[in-house]
Amino acid sequence: MKKFLKTVSLILTLLFSLGVLAGCGSEPAKKSAIDQIKERGKLRVAVFSDKPPFGFVDANGKNQGYDVYLAKRLAKDLLGDENKVEFVLVEAASRIEVLEADKVDITLANFTVTPERKEKVDFANPYMKVALGIVSPEGAPITSVDQLKGKKLIVNKGTTAETYFTKNYPDVELLKYDQNTEAFQALKDGRGAALAHDNTLVFAWSRENKGYVTGITKLGELDAIAPAVKKGNTELRDWINTELTKLGEEKFFHKDFEETLKPAYGDSVNPEDVVVEGGAIK
Amino acid sequence: MQDLGINVIFEGSNLLRLLIGLWVTMRIAIVAIAISVVFGIAFGIVMTVKNTFVQIVARLYLEAVRIIPILVWLFLFYFGLTKVLHIHLGAEVVSVIVFSLWGIAEMGDIVRGAITSLPAHQRASGRALGLTDLQIYRYIIIPQAVRRLIPAAINLATRMIKTTSLVVLIGVVEVLKVGQQIIEVSILKTPSASFWVYACIFALYFIICYPISLWSKKLELKWQNQ
Amino acid sequence: MSQKTQEKLLEIMNLKKQYDDVETLKDISLDVHKGEVVVVLGPSGCGKSTLLRCLNGLEEIQGGQIKLNGEVINADKTKWHLIRQKIGMVFQSYDLFPHMSIIENILLGPTKAQGRDKTEVLAQAEKLLTRVGLLDKKDAYPRQLSGGQKQRVAIVRALCMNPEIMLFDEVTASLDPEMVREVLDVMLELAKQGMTMVIVTHEMAFAKAVADRIVFIDEGQIAEIAKPQDFFNAPTTERAKRFLNIFKFNEESER
Repeated sequence: MKKFLKTVSLILTLLFSLGVLAGCGSEPAKKSAIDQIKERGKLRVAVFSDKPPFGFVDANGKNQGYDVYLAKRLAKDLLGDENKVEFVLVEAASRIEVLEADKVDITLANFTVTPERKEKVDFANPYMKVALGIVSPEGAPITSVDQLKGKKLIVNKGTTAETYFTKNYPDVELLKYDQNTEAFQALKDGRGAALAHDNTLVFAWSRENKGYVTGITKLGELDAIAPAVKKGNTELRDWINTELTKLGEEKFFHKDFEETLKPAYGDSVNPEDVVVEGGAIK
Repeated sequence: MQDLGINVIFEGSNLLRLLIGLWVTMRIAIVAIAISVVFGIAFGIVMTVKNTFVQIVARLYLEAVRIIPILVWLFLFYFGLTKVLHIHLGAEVVSVIVFSLWGIAEMGDIVRGAITSLPAHQRASGRALGLTDLQIYRYIIIPQAVRRLIPAAINLATRMIKTTSLVVLIGVVEVLKVGQQIIEVSILKTPSASFWVYACIFALYFIICYPISLWSKKLELKWQNQ
Repeated sequence: MSQKTQEKLLEIMNLKKQYDDVETLKDISLDVHKGEVVVVLGPSGCGKSTLLRCLNGLEEIQGGQIKLNGEVINADKTKWHLIRQKIGMVFQSYDLFPHMSIIENILLGPTKAQGRDKTEVLAQAEKLLTRVGLLDKKDAYPRQLSGGQKQRVAIVRALCMNPEIMLFDEVTASLDPEMVREVLDVMLELAKQGMTMVIVTHEMAFAKAVADRIVFIDEGQIAEIAKPQDFFNAPTTERAKRFLNIFKFNEESER
């Protein structure tokens, strides 16, 4: 019996160590990042799959949105075909990890530039800008932050809105939710006096939901949204920057806005408030 | 059209996408459960060995799997392996590995419990009949242990199926994520979409899980009557 | 019993058994002849059950030799499962396998350990079950049987292996009193047919009736070996006298 057990334990141990050993392959040779992509024939881009209108999957299972539109263009200009792009669907929490672990070449997932993130990834120049907006019921509109004191404000966990209010207005009580769906439902149920989120999103939402207004349209610093590459991949970052400048000349992002954002926002959002052309926020 | 949320399910290829998502969930769960059952039984037997070293190693493995959240394991294997050792494993492969590691540990502990709860004289009388140790396991210990562990094992399997929703964090799009995608796309136009999508997912899960629980009840009943 | 021959079937020489530092069996030597019934008596904890378990390798021994048919059987640990096919054993606890029917319990050893033909074993099993009056239970499961019935099946299960010797370890100790008799009758019947047996029991009347020799063990040593009538009527050692007194008192008080 003992022999049998020893064999079993040996096999198990072997299996585990094989798993570890398999990892001891050598590091891939240093090669130009762009050559590597060309060799592969696919540009791997991390996008959201459930954050319309930036990155989402439509009813036919196709990736769509403002970020996706740009990703396809990058693939076209780099590899000659807009279909030579592989979308890797990410969650907000894994946007940095996918770059660090080389699972993708570029992250295009509504990625706001922050000092903390800059330490982990390299951002190219921005292609979009966003500020906070606050939406509240028409009957009791919130038009200045001072009105929020002593009231409950609905935010999403891990968003700029949460950080901004925690840092600057600690006396505003925050109600935090994981999903957009839950957060907006909470506002409808009257669990909070108002909801703070990216102004683009609250504009779009208040347009669809009668009885709510965006009382504060621009709050906090203007956040830049930019493509990100793996830390140290300056070659790809520089290529993206050149590309952004080139795209600016043809007003590419205005076209992107018309195609992807306008259907969601209607006329409530001025493209100049959102779009960044040529990689420079004016 | 505000309240015809159920239409969301049949829009475009949404239903097919949900079914494909369910297939991804089941594929990961089924493979991981199958591996867990086979190697879990082996691991459970190893855990009953009266050898301090083997027991410490087994205990360490079990506790590591229990203490460290599944999510961390997924990240470790998906991102960590690549960062440190430059091995790229597919997200689904990683999911199967992590869920198997978890399943083997838990299944092993269930098997160990079932085996040690068997009276010692069962083994002794098997030996007295001239059976080899392998035969004793095959005909006496395992069949009896299996009868004792069925409820716990079914519970583990359903827990594993439910927990597969975590794999979305390493980019695997399973049924809940597909649901989330559909809901988020429709949220502005069809606020009741979430209700219908989740109802649909619930129905799909039910169709899968109900036969399993029926089957396990039948088995339990059958063995009770022996 | 009369079938006793001079042929030595089982030889125990200087057997020593230790648990950690405690010697439970100190230097036991005993021969069992073919066809002989040896009853081992002794106060509880004296080591008699341990001795039985040593004889078929359920306990490892720390010294001495055991021979079956003149061959040393305790030398190679990996061969015990082969030896055990020749040594049947029945335990105190009901040791049937609960997940198997009665007939499956009986067939397991002969078909799996001995690799015998199933139909042949089945015929033998049914004959043996008929002899112990349990043929109608062959498709029942152990939990549907009384304690006495279970022990009779356990005996049949051991017999179906065609053992050369049978060991009985207090097989009636867990039984309700009214079921003791049915099991002892089966054993008496076996003895009459010339089965070599080593029996550990507390049933003194049964011991007297069935035994060719009584072996009295105390504190891990054989204190006395005698014919039953001599042992029960005129024990030579103080310890045996004391032991028998307890039972006499019981008999007297029952009157």
